[in-house]
Amino acid sequence: MTQEKIHIKDLNLYYGTNHALKNVSIDIKGNRITSLIGPSGCGKSTFLRTLNRLNDTIDNVIIQGDINIDGQNIYDKNVDVVSLRKKVGMIFQKSNPFPKSVFENVAYGPRINGMKKKSELEEIVERSCRRAAIWDEVKDRLNDSAIGLSGGQQQRVCIARALAVDPEILLMDEPASALDPISTAKIEDLMFELKKNLTIVIVTHNMQQAARVSDNCAFFLMGEIIEYSATARMFTKPENEKTQNYISGRFG
Amino acid sequence: MYHYLEEELEQLKTKIIKMGSLVEEQIELAIRSLFEGNLDLAKTVISRDDEVDKYDIKIDKHCQRIFALTQPVAFDLRLIMSALMINSDLERMGDIAVNISERAAPLLGYSELLKKVRVDEMSGKVKKIVRMGIDCFVNSDAELAKKIILMDVEVDNLDKQIFDLITLEMRNDNNMIIPCSHILTLIRNIERLSDHATNIAEDVIFLIDAKIIKHSKDPDNLKQKE
Repeated sequence: MTQEKIHIKDLNLYYGTNHALKNVSIDIKGNRITSLIGPSGCGKSTFLRTLNRLNDTIDNVIIQGDINIDGQNIYDKNVDVVSLRKKVGMIFQKSNPFPKSVFENVAYGPRINGMKKKSELEEIVERSCRRAAIWDEVKDRLNDSAIGLSGGQQQRVCIARALAVDPEILLMDEPASALDPISTAKIEDLMFELKKNLTIVIVTHNMQQAARVSDNCAFFLMGEIIEYSATARMFTKPENEKTQNYISGRFG
Repeated sequence: MYHYLEEELEQLKTKIIKMGSLVEEQIELAIRSLFEGNLDLAKTVISRDDEVDKYDIKIDKHCQRIFALTQPVAFDLRLIMSALMINSDLERMGDIAVNISERAAPLLGYSELLKKVRVDEMSGKVKKIVRMGIDCFVNSDAELAKKIILMDVEVDNLDKQIFDLITLEMRNDNNMIIPCSHILTLIRNIERLSDHATNIAEDVIFLIDAKIIKHSKDPDNLKQKE
């Protein structure tokens, strides 16, 4: 399935008087990795957070326009935000495991969704850890605190935790920016594996990472999308001079 | 990183331009050695080919370093790819200048025959194309590059006409078979110079317009391949 998964039309977002996103309209395809690039403060993380309504928690935020996921406007007043965030998981820049065991971290989502049976939870934890390519490293220490793992392992436990509730979309906000090259490579390999069943949207400041992992790429500047195209095209023949200048390190 | 990359690209362009000037001079001297029967000039061309080869290696290494250290994209990436391809063409053109010089000795005393079969006309045209090839890179001039591609067709046509003139000479006079055989090799070399200059023109179009047009002779009606 590679048809449009997320449809965004005329999206505007204001933090009080600050117009942070300006008339953003793009379609994001399913089972693809879409990267969002741009200098700090350009609106890419704000945009990412609109996709699972995380900006709702911020005071004075005004959001206008449409964001449809599978044809459903996620800002419709009938939408259950908890269900939305189950469907649209998120991984942050800094790994944020709960101060609990590895098992409890991964089992957290299914547990709060009402799953109690231990054997079912064990099955989900193993499956999620395998999907997050962390199982072999934690299978003998499931009861150890997740805080004791390395940064790269913690981040993959967080991915396993997100996968445990079976999301359809995974939002990743600079998921490897604090990791060493080997851990980064593991996360990137994992993304390739996950996109077979998931749609991934990733914010990254690392141009090479955007070029390596993503199928499509959106370049944000001052709240606007300057260019949105296949990544291979953007990094070989950008249409816009601003894109050319940004991706080649001439500003930002 | 940006300033570092800019400086590296400027230095790379300068090396290509210097190599281009050297190769152009080698071609000029090679052709003069032929028409003037000047074997000293021919020796100079042969001995200076080492300088061309040194540029070839320097440019290859420079491109490798820029790739490894800066991971260039978009225009910068195309510039380095073009530099690599142009470097290769210039190096081959240097070798061809040597091949032409090597014909000076066996064709000593046959300058009138060379003119009769229009080799002077062909070499004049090709020298112009070579100059234009280097200029279109120096000035990033895609329009000039397109003109070169069309001029190469003229050289190919002239090549065929000269072939007929040479074979006629050989048929008419058995004593002309050996010098004419050398001229056949010579015109093949001169024609190849035009082909390499055309390759440079195609690289410049790739650099400026991001279009890959090689293997086509019709730059205005090309479908864009990316």
